[in-house]
Amino acid sequence: MKRIVLVDDDADFCEATGLLLESKGYEVVFAHDGKEGLKKIRAEKPDLVILDVMMPEMNGYDVCVVLKEDEELSKIPVILLTAVDQAFFRTTYTKHMGLMTEADDYVAKPVGSEELVNRVESFLNRD
Amino acid sequence: MLIKPSINILVVDDDIAVMQKCRELLLNEGHWVRTAESVEEALDIIQRQPADADLILLSLEFAMDGSLTLIETLQKAMREPLIIGISTDCDEEAFEAIEAGAYDCIRRNFTDAGFWVKMNRALETYRLRRQLGVLKRERQAALTKSKVGHDENLMAILNSLTDGLIVTDWQANIVLFNKVAGRLFDLKEGKVLGKPVSECIASDELLSFLIRAVKADSSLATLMAGEEPVIRVGDKTLQTHVDPVMSEAGTVIGAVALCHDVTTVAAMDKLRSDFLSMVSHELKAPLSSLLMQISVVNDGLAGELTEKQSNLLSKAKEKTKGMITLVNDLLDYRRIQEGKSIQKIESLDLGEILERTIELMRPSAQDKHVTMTSKIVDGLPAFNGDRGGIQAIFINLISNAIKYTPTGGSVNVSLEEAGKDIRFKIVDNGMGISPDDLDRIFERFYRIKTEQTRSIAGSGLGLSIVKGIVDAHNGTVHVESKVGKGTTFIVSLPTQE
Repeated sequence: MKRIVLVDDDADFCEATGLLLESKGYEVVFAHDGKEGLKKIRAEKPDLVILDVMMPEMNGYDVCVVLKEDEELSKIPVILLTAVDQAFFRTTYTKHMGLMTEADDYVAKPVGSEELVNRVESFLNRD
Repeated sequence: MLIKPSINILVVDDDIAVMQKCRELLLNEGHWVRTAESVEEALDIIQRQPADADLILLSLEFAMDGSLTLIETLQKAMREPLIIGISTDCDEEAFEAIEAGAYDCIRRNFTDAGFWVKMNRALETYRLRRQLGVLKRERQAALTKSKVGHDENLMAILNSLTDGLIVTDWQANIVLFNKVAGRLFDLKEGKVLGKPVSECIASDELLSFLIRAVKADSSLATLMAGEEPVIRVGDKTLQTHVDPVMSEAGTVIGAVALCHDVTTVAAMDKLRSDFLSMVSHELKAPLSSLLMQISVVNDGLAGELTEKQSNLLSKAKEKTKGMITLVNDLLDYRRIQEGKSIQKIESLDLGEILERTIELMRPSAQDKHVTMTSKIVDGLPAFNGDRGGIQAIFINLISNAIKYTPTGGSVNVSLEEAGKDIRFKIVDNGMGISPDDLDRIFERFYRIKTEQTRSIAGSGLGLSIVKGIVDAHNGTVHVESKVGKGTTFIVSLPTQE
C-alpha cells in the first residue's frame, strides 16, 4: 500500500482529506506542523508528501528545502498546498519563490476532491 | 512697401570701387553702412562699436594678411556677425573662408542682381537668427528668480502650501522651490537656485520627468500633462505631478513639480493590503476544509447517505464554492484597483495556459453535462503578459460560460492569431444576455437578474476583473449575445506594443 504523509495545521482538513485518500487505497500519516512533518517523513519514508505552506513551527517551504537537500528524501515527490493569496506570497515569501520549482507540484487551496486525487494519482500510479 | 528693419553693415575692402558699389547698393535699401579699407581699421571700428557690424562684407584679398584669422577673431569677439567674403574667383579661398566661419562669398565683379540674391539670403538669415536670439532671451528671462522668487506675497503663499513645489527654467535649472520642497529634497536656497535640477534632486525618476517636461514642445506638452510618478525619497513616498510651464505664446518656458507626501497613505495601503491577504487566508483555509469535508461525506466515504441528504450536501457544496469564488474575486478586484493586475511581465505561451485552464475547468463542465471543445492553433507567437492575469481571464470567461449554459449545452473555446493580436474566443449556446444587460455586464457587482440566473452563485466581479486585466495588457474585449441562443466573448491581446 502506498503511503502519504499529509502535513497541515488544519486538523479538519487532514481528517477529511485522509478519508478521501484512504478511500482511494492509500495509507495516510498526518502531521500538524512543519517540524512534526519532517520527523514523520524521516520515519515513514513515504511515497508522497502533501505539504501545507502556512504552518506554525516550520513553514512548508522550509520543510521542502530540507527535504530537497536531503539525498535520501529528495526523491519523494512533494505537493505544496496553500490558501495564501498569490500577491501576498510574492511580497512576503519572495525569498522562497525560487522553491516553487523545487516542489514537484503546487496546488492552490481550496482544492476539489477530484483534483487532489488526480494530482496524487499522477505521482503514485506512474509505474 | 514693407519696411524692413535696417541692419548695420560693415564693408571691409581696399578696392575702393567695390567698396563704394556695395555701400551705394546697401544705402539705397536703407541699411546703415560703414566702410574700412584695412583689417586694422575694421577691428578698430568693431572694438569701439560692436553694434556697428551685424553683417560684414570682407575682402578675401586680405587672406595674405590673415582674413581667415580675422573671420575667426570676429566670430569670437562679437555676437555671431554674418560674414560674407568678397572673392575674385569664388574658388578655394572662398571655401576656406566658409570653413572658417564665413556665411557665404560673392564675386568681386558681381552684378546688381547677383549681389542682391546673395545679400537678401544673408539678411534673411541674419533676421531669423536675431529673432531666435530674442526668443531665447525671452525664454530665459521668463522664469528667473528675479521675476517669481522676489514677490514676497507669492512666496508666502507658496510656502504655506502643504505640498512641495519646485519650478525650473527651460534649461531645467531650479528657479524656485517652496519650504516643503526644501525639506523633502533637502534644498538650501543659496546653494541650489540657478543650479541644474540634476545636481540637486536625488530622485532619478522625478528628474527624468522634469527634463522631459522642459524638453517637450508645445504639442507634446499638452500630451504629457498630468503625469504622476510616485517616487521614494529617503523614507518618504511622494506622489508627484510634473507639468511643463507654458508661456502665453505657447512655448515651454520651464517645468513645475508638485510633490504630495503620501508616506502615511502608502503605509496604510500596505497595511490594508496585508490585512486583506491575511483575511483571505483565514477565510480560504476553513472554506477549504469545509469543501473537503462536504465532498468526502457526500461521496459516501463517511457512511451511506440518503438521496435527500446527498441532495442537501450538493447544495451546501455549491454554496461553499460560491463563497470561495467571492473571496478570490474580491482579492483579484482589489489587485486591479491597486493597479497590480500586472504583477510580472514574462513571455507566455497562451496556448499552454489555456489548455491547462481548460483541464482545470473540465470537471465542472462534466458535472453540469456541458460539452467543452477547444481549438488552439499551434505555433502561436509568444505573448508578453502576466501569467496570473491571463489565467484569470480564461478562468472567469470559461467558468461563466459553463455557469450560464444549461445542462446539455456546449462551450467552444478557440485561440488563434489575428493580425498582430492573439485572439481568444469563447462561444456558448447558453441563456444569452439581453441588450440592456449587455451594456452593463462589465460594471462591478453587476449581475443579471432573471428567473434562470437566480440559482447561479457569483460576485458580479468576474467580468470587471477580466476587463481590468485585458485593459492592462492593452487588449480589447468584445461580446455578442442573443437571449436564448448564446453568447460569444472575444478577447484580443496585442503581441506587440
